[in-house]
This record gives sequence, structure tokens and C-alpha cells, in this order.
Amino acid sequence: MNKKAVVELKQIKKSFPGVQALKGFDFNIYEHEILGLVGENGAGKTTLVKILNGLFHADGGEYFLRGKKSTIKDPLDAIKEGVGMVFQEGCTLPNLTIAENLFLCHEDVFKKNGFLQTRKMNQAAKELTKEMGLFVSPTTVCNQLTPAQKQMVEISRLLWLSKLYGKENPILILDEPTTVLLEKEVDNLFAILKEVKKQASIILISHRLEEIVENSDRIAIFKDGDFVTEMTQAEAEIEKIEQFMVGRELAEEHYRESEQRIPEEEVFLEVKDLSLNKFFEPISFKIHKGEIVSLVGLIGSGKEELCQCIAGTMKADQGDISILGKPVKIDSPKDSIRYKLGYIPIDRRQQGLAVDMDLVENINMLVFERLKKYGLLNRKKELENATKWAKETLVKAPSMRSKCANLSGGNQQKVVISKWLSADSQFLILDHPTRGIDVGAKDEIYHRIRQLSNEGKSLLIMCDTLEEDIGLSNRMLIMKDGLLVEEVQCPSDAKPAPVDVIASIV
Amino acid sequence: MSRLIKPSSEAGNKITQKKQIPAIYFSLGMLALFIIIFYIGNRSFLTRYNLMAIGAAAAILLAVGLGQVFSILTGGIDLSVGGIMSLVSVVLMSTLERFGFFAFVISLAVGLLAGLVNGLINAKLRIPSFITTLGTGGIFVSISYIISAKPLSAPSSSYDLLEFINGDVLGLKNVMIIGAIVFVIFLIFQKYTITGRSILLMGSNEKMCWMSGVNVFKIRTLAFTISGLGAGIAGIMLAGTLFSGYPTLGNTYILSSIATVVVGGTAMTGGAGGVLNTLVGALIMSVLNNGMNVIGIDVYAQQTFLGVLIIAAVAISFDRSKLSVIK
Repeated sequence: MNKKAVVELKQIKKSFPGVQALKGFDFNIYEHEILGLVGENGAGKTTLVKILNGLFHADGGEYFLRGKKSTIKDPLDAIKEGVGMVFQEGCTLPNLTIAENLFLCHEDVFKKNGFLQTRKMNQAAKELTKEMGLFVSPTTVCNQLTPAQKQMVEISRLLWLSKLYGKENPILILDEPTTVLLEKEVDNLFAILKEVKKQASIILISHRLEEIVENSDRIAIFKDGDFVTEMTQAEAEIEKIEQFMVGRELAEEHYRESEQRIPEEEVFLEVKDLSLNKFFEPISFKIHKGEIVSLVGLIGSGKEELCQCIAGTMKADQGDISILGKPVKIDSPKDSIRYKLGYIPIDRRQQGLAVDMDLVENINMLVFERLKKYGLLNRKKELENATKWAKETLVKAPSMRSKCANLSGGNQQKVVISKWLSADSQFLILDHPTRGIDVGAKDEIYHRIRQLSNEGKSLLIMCDTLEEDIGLSNRMLIMKDGLLVEEVQCPSDAKPAPVDVIASIV
Repeated sequence: MSRLIKPSSEAGNKITQKKQIPAIYFSLGMLALFIIIFYIGNRSFLTRYNLMAIGAAAAILLAVGLGQVFSILTGGIDLSVGGIMSLVSVVLMSTLERFGFFAFVISLAVGLLAGLVNGLINAKLRIPSFITTLGTGGIFVSISYIISAKPLSAPSSSYDLLEFINGDVLGLKNVMIIGAIVFVIFLIFQKYTITGRSILLMGSNEKMCWMSGVNVFKIRTLAFTISGLGAGIAGIMLAGTLFSGYPTLGNTYILSSIATVVVGGTAMTGGAGGVLNTLVGALIMSVLNNGMNVIGIDVYAQQTFLGVLIIAAVAISFDRSKLSVIK
């Protein structure tokens, strides 16, 4: 193939606290191609494109753009260099018109004698959008557009900007462009992308493998921050891609499988026909005492919302939840805490901790009532309780009065777990409990999860990788597009292979 | 701190951490610095008579500041404290003759009620506290005018009653003792009650508190009610020392209460600082106000100095530990 590379990445590296997001690999992007990036959540796709458009900076390696070393410092520079990103949720300003959005911050082009020539601007907008198959008046305010139309506006804007800055073959990055689209709109989008390809390179990130295989000229597969392999459209097969995405077979004892127990007979939590409009259809399942159930699905499968409905941070439209056979009503987090449910959120800093406060305050906040003496909070009791749980979960901190902001991700997570354990939670929802945590701390958290299950506590988990889901759980519930599609048993001696499971997820 | 158990040492993990100096030490340092400067400027700054004057002014600032600090700890602000002080002063003066001692109870209740109104509007209608209290502050002043547009003087029959504000005990002015009592009560409230703790936690991370089952609505409402109570106490103290009440009495206290809180090292973003900081803040503010007179700074120029000093004070004392989060 005689292709010219627009972007050359050499030994590109990027790490975040506790994780190596990109492990250092060479990667090229060629002219006039549609490149599909695939990989599980956390494989490094998003980090890679964010480096391309200047949102992140690589820690190591080199980034060449059109043969020259890239000088991109931020997304604005990237646009000037012809690298633009179309975000999943769309980035148009809802209160401005199509024309205003298209030329935002570059209105100078249409300035004459210090005044903006609105008519000329609208005329230009009309022509640009027409090329994209968008036949809407350029004076339409953007919040009246469908997600598909907003995408077109953004794509037009990026193409126009690269022309304005005189950059040949711009690079358009589309992150999950189809999740918000209807089927017909998806077809339309790809038809247009194939046109756009004649003047640009397109990077497509999507969890829908069919889409990728059907529409990409080249498919690059990522796993654990590494570029695994690439294939052309002709070579690509969904099964083969899945194999690469999942990679190695389950390592023995990685998730402390030998400590896995058989759940008790008694059902702790039962969900019956629970539904939430636009997120998930009526769903029913049971979780036994001492059982670890993993909820598996892609972003948008409805699993996050399902968990939130159980935790009380969202309210289901319909359906019943019962605990130990008794129906309960969960309208707020307060209710769920009363029933001894606990929710350990994915975003520790925003939702799990008061980071400006010390360990003692954070660990005790659910049980202040218990730490009183003569009607007032007792500092000694507080310190005792917090210390006990911090020790129990192996929190490493300079002192119990250190601010949580100064702890590592793993220790912050342990503080959050301590908080819920101290409140005697019998059922824990763990939303990506090992996200951004280093290996050592991960193992300690796995151990903790096993121990909780052995104490008869039930856990509902959502993990970072499919292996983690399979390795940790007794049973997996697989969700797709708001439906519970499959239930997979994961006994410790007969864990299913990820490859066999992934087909029902994507 | 030595009795704190350190799990780190057990695990053998050494964690290096930059030592952060709590904001209150900066504030204390500043207080000492100002005292030294004013003392050098005029030796009579540290006379007993002058110290009493500083203490009395600080006590009133402290009361209103102690209320204000709770609204600021939640991440809000209370601009109605001036209005509440004025309203309370007018209510006190117009009820003293008829109700005697109960006039104080009524006045306190008015302060509490005003704060409750703020809290409910802020928490229930979800209107930012800045706007809420800007509006209600005007309303409270207006009600004061409706009650009496003319300044009200304390009836001579009540001079004995007002003695408990103006008298002395053990060589200290009674206002100072009232201020000290209020301080202790508020300190216990902040440090040793669940509500007090929850206010700080909520100021630090409201979403987390909600997800942890804290009644965010109740806490927010209470914080503003307490702010009203503080302003009410301050209004009574001020009216008592002046023997009068009028609708503009509290005006200057809106900004000086905020300055008191902030100069003490409480973060405007909420979640850090508190009652102890406010004590230091009140002392700094009254030392400044008094000291500038004592060393003879032109009255017209004083506001300029005060403004510069407040900004400088905040630049020095603002809780730096917050910065690690803000970045």
C-alpha cells in the first residue's frame, strides 16, 4: 500500500496516578483513511486521541504531524493544526445558531469595517452544511437540532477550520459517534464520512464492532494501554477482533479465586421488573447472601443507572425491590442506607469523599450517632472507630488526621470502603472499585471483596475489565441496550473464557 | 497528636507529604504583627482602657461573624446579617418597655426566624444564597423602617435591664463575656454536634453528603438559621451598647462580618475553617479599626487602609490546603 502518514507516533507513553494508560508504542495515521480504534474500556483509545488533540500530553515518545514534530499544546492549537474532535455528547453551544456555532471565535473572517456581516456568514454556513447533507436554515438555534444534525455541524466546522488555517488532510476524531443516533442516521453518517475521507483522515472510536468492521479501512486494536495489532477491512472479522481485545486467558489466582465461596441459599436483594425510561427495560434478578454478582455491559447499556436506582441516587419508574423478602421503597440514598445498602461510587473525589476533610471525619460520617457521649460527639470514640476501620482495610496514611486529598487513589478507595463497612452495610454496590488504583492496592481490594462475601455480605460490582468481572464474581448479569440479555455462572473452578462472553456484550 | 495510631508505620510504607500550615497560624501571626505595629505607633494602644474598647468591638463582630461563618462554610454567604441586626435592634427598642426581659427573647426569636426564612428560600427554592440574602436583607431593613423610621432610644426605665450588656464583671465588660459565651456555644456546636460536622462536610462535598444519606436540605436551612441567630445576638449587643435601635444600624456589618470570617482563614468556597478562625478574625478586624485611630490615620483614608489590609490578610491567610484541591 502506498499511503502517506499524517501522524506518526513513536514510543508514545502516558501514565496517570496508578495506571500506565499508554505503554509506549509506534502508531501511524495515514491520509484519506477511516481508522477504527477498538478495545475495552480503559484500553487506552481515548487517551490516545486526547494526546492527538492536545487535551493530554504524552509523558514519553514523540508525536509527528505531517512530518514535523507536533507543537500542539491544547485543543485550540490542535484545531489550528487541523486535528479536531467530535465529542460523543456534541459540543455545539445550544443557544447559538448553526452559523454562529460554525464560525465561533473565527468571526473575524466575516468582519468588514468592524461590523459582522451576518448575511455573508449565514450564506457560507448554508453552503458548508449542504455539503454535509444538512438542509436546515443556518439561523436555526442549535438546541433545536437532533444529535445527528449537531454532529454534522461539528464536522463541517472542523473541515472549514482546517481550510481556514490552510491545513491539508485534517484529522477528524469521532468518539462513539453513533450511540446517540438512530439507525437511519448512522447509515447517513457513514455515507458522509466516506465522502469526507477524500479530503481528511477519520478516526472512529466505537464499541459497536459491526460498525467498525463495516466502515473502517483499517482497524487498530488496543488492550491495557498497548497497541496489539492492526488489520485491514478485508482481513477483519469480529471474532478475531474480540480475541485480540480480550487477549490473554485468565491468569490463575489473579482475582483470588480460591477464596471464592458458594453463596448462601437466602436471597438478600430481589429486583422485580425494575425499569427506568430511556435507560433500561423491566429487569428482574436476585442476589443471594454472600454472593458477588457482576453487572456487565458497555457504556449506555443501562447498568450504571440500574445500580443508581438500587442505591437511591436515581429513581426507577416502575418495579419493586425487596430485601430479605420484604418489599422496600428506595427513593433516596437515605432510604438505601437505612436498609444497609452501600454505594461505592466510581468517582471517589466527587462522590465518595470530602477530600478536604481528614480520614476520621470521612470514615465516621455515616455513624456519627454511634460516637456520642453525653449527647455530644466524642473525639476519642471517633478516633477509635475510624482507626479500627482504617486498620481493617489497610489504609496507609501519614496520620488519621491527614486530609483525604493527600492520599493515593487506592487509599482513598479504602477510606470509602471503610466508611461503608463502619456503617455495617450488608450489601455493597462497587462501581469500578479498582479504577485508577495500582496493582498492590488492587489485590488488597480483591481480598477485601472476597472477605466481605465470606462474611455473608452481598456485592454488586461493575469492573474495569471483563476479566476482572469474570474473575471476581459468582455470577455475571450481562446488559445490552437496556436489557438483561444473559446470565453467566462463574464458579471458581470453571470460569468462562472472556471470548465466549464478549459476543453477548457488544 | 502522638496518641494517633498510624497505620502507615505498620505497613512499613513511607509516605512523604508536604507539611501544610493551617490557615489559623497565619491569622494569628497577622494579629500579632498588627498589635506590634500599632504599639510601636502609639504606646497607649495597649492600655487597659483601649484593650477594653477593642474587646467590646470584637465581641459584636464575633457574634455576627460566628453566624456568618456557618453560611460561608456551606459554600454560601449571608448578606442579610446587616438587615437582621437592624431589625433586631428596632424590635428590641420597641418592646423593651412593655415586655422587659422578654424583649430580648423576642429579639432573638426574630433573628432566628429571619435566618430560617433565608435558609428555607435557599434550600427549598434552590436560589443561590447571594441572591436570597440580598433580597431578604432589603426586606428586613424595610420592615425596620415600617416599625420605626426614626431612631428609637432605650426607655430610661430599661437602663437597669441593659446593664447586663453594659456592665462589668471581674474587670471585663459584659459584652465581652457575652461574646465569649456565644463563642463557646458555637464552638461546641461546630466541633461536637452532628449538625455542626455535617455543615463542614457539606461545604466540602455536597453531592457526597447527599449520597451518604445526609439531609442536605435540613443542614443548609440550619446553617442559615444559625447565621440569623448570630446576627440577632450581635444586633442585641450593639443596640444595647448604643441604647438605641434604627434601620441602618447593621449596615456596616454586612461586609465587616464577611471580612471577619475570611481574614480568620475560613475559605469562601466552604468546607474549611470555622468558629476558632472567626475569633481570630474578629480580633484582627477590631484591632485594625481601633489601631488606625490610635496611631492617627486620617479617618477618610482609613477605609483605604482597611481595604488593602483585608486583601493582604486574605492573601496571607487564605487556607492554602484548599489550593491543592483547586489547583
